[in-house]
Amino acid sequence: MSTTLIDPRKTFGEAVTDYAAEHERVLVLSADSGVSSGFGRFKAEFPDRYYEFGIEEHGVTGVASGLASTGFEPVFAAIAPFVTLRNCEAFRNDVGYMHQNVKIVGRNGGMTYSDLGPTHYSLEDYAVTRMIPGVVVLSPQDPGEIRGAARAMLEHEGPVYMRIGGPFIPELFDESPFEIGVGRLIESGRRATVVSTGTITVEVIAAVRALREQGIQVDLIGMPTVEPVDAELIRASAARTGLVVTVEEHYVRGGLSAAVAEVTGGLRVRRAAIGLPHEHITTGTYPELLARYELDAESLSRRLRGLIEAAV
Amino acid sequence: MTELASLEVEAARARLLITRMLRVAGTGHVGGALSCIDVVTALYFHTMNVAPERADDPDRDRFLLSAGHKAMAQYAVLARRGFFPEDLLDSYGTLGSRLAGHPDMHKVPGVEANTGALGHGLPIACGMALGLRRIGRGGRVFVVLGDGELPEGSNWEGAAIAGHYHLDNLVAIVDANGLQISGRTADVMNMEPIADKFVAFGFSARTIDGNDMRSVVDALDATPFSAGMPSLIVARTTKAKGIAKIEDTAGSHHWKPSAEELDQAVRELQASIDRLELTGARS
Repeated sequence: MSTTLIDPRKTFGEAVTDYAAEHERVLVLSADSGVSSGFGRFKAEFPDRYYEFGIEEHGVTGVASGLASTGFEPVFAAIAPFVTLRNCEAFRNDVGYMHQNVKIVGRNGGMTYSDLGPTHYSLEDYAVTRMIPGVVVLSPQDPGEIRGAARAMLEHEGPVYMRIGGPFIPELFDESPFEIGVGRLIESGRRATVVSTGTITVEVIAAVRALREQGIQVDLIGMPTVEPVDAELIRASAARTGLVVTVEEHYVRGGLSAAVAEVTGGLRVRRAAIGLPHEHITTGTYPELLARYELDAESLSRRLRGLIEAAV
Repeated sequence: MTELASLEVEAARARLLITRMLRVAGTGHVGGALSCIDVVTALYFHTMNVAPERADDPDRDRFLLSAGHKAMAQYAVLARRGFFPEDLLDSYGTLGSRLAGHPDMHKVPGVEANTGALGHGLPIACGMALGLRRIGRGGRVFVVLGDGELPEGSNWEGAAIAGHYHLDNLVAIVDANGLQISGRTADVMNMEPIADKFVAFGFSARTIDGNDMRSVVDALDATPFSAGMPSLIVARTTKAKGIAKIEDTAGSHHWKPSAEELDQAVRELQASIDRLELTGARS
């Protein structure tokens, strides 16, 4: 793990721009949100492939569908709730039901806009988007995965939603090709199966390593695809450990917890979900919120230990 | 027979096909289908560069029915135009049919968008128009909206886009029959003056009698009305045009005729075809 912190938005924008240099069909759509989503270089290099629409997410989602129907591959990025909830029906009908090759990216996902409050949080985006049939949902965990996921998303034919964060994040893994629906075994152990997604994984890794020092070893699966999850990897681990715990920066309903519960439903295992409580989340600095909702490494270590001990 | 007369006959035949679907399903969005069917007929038989044998031609013109509940009009015209056999209309509304109450592009040849939820057609049409302009081989986009769907804010997001990007390969037609489920559109939510609103967003607009084939054809022939501007046609129409008993009634929006009423409608529409064929043959 590197200690250098990297801008996820810039990382994402650069990855799309690099891909677009070789693929003319890729267009960027902005709802006054393109440059702040990392597309400054794209706009400078490909001004005729960068479309500005002003602040109107329903309209832009429809436009994305129409452009895709004529053979282009539009990427529409903005603050996560505005491209998952404000435009929800256009996402479901125009992109999902019409099954168009549209890529929608929610930035500053989760509660990373911690000072702006619930209007700018996305704690239901996994749940909402994974309910639309045929939509792939990605939530990469570090800059290398953002680069890989951006490329995989653009190579995939069909609708994709990807969540990225806002605060700078460390590189966690050696970079490798990103495969949609494939999880990553980060740590191994027999006491529990911990499944994590998105940028909260940095906290989960620290928590699991602290547990290891206490003599408690668990499987930690990093799952940067929320839909579809890696059922085979998760089921095999769960069958071995007997306890599955999901960790996500999302409400504990409908997101990763539900996806993992669905694929382990036939197994005789205990399940627990760690995430945000189903309430309107307060404001503060991002580290303060992580601590307040016990999603920081220290709290996670304590909570995971409690769940493991209760399961014995 | 002149082209105009034959278009009038086509529209009359399409009207009769709506009763064929109604016979199977028992009920349907008849009023709006009958109000817009002259425009839809003119588009498929006169204006648009489309053909059933090249339904996937990337350079074809696109037609979207933003008011997707008027699907029976599109199905009838697509069948008449040869996109699928008329026999398929006998499956309308039945379990698993390709022809549902709202059109599905994955099931029906010639359908370009899965509309039905209102306020979606214009933004999608803008995307298609932008895409066809990028391709640069002349493809145009025609979208029919209902006047009852105009309060949906997303229409005005689309209107802003069309104006801002000077989409002169886009023609929006508002089927203004003046009625919706709850009554007179002007009473439910007054969106008049419709043309002025679109003009304010950068459209060039005309208002016509949308059930008069000559007016419809003349307006479509004149598009784009202004270079560098999207076109808007306010087609003033009569809801349920062609079935006298329910013309200009909110009740026709989703009509469930008795067997006797349906038989009467069939006789009336058949008589209309006969009359038009007779007068057309003399023209």
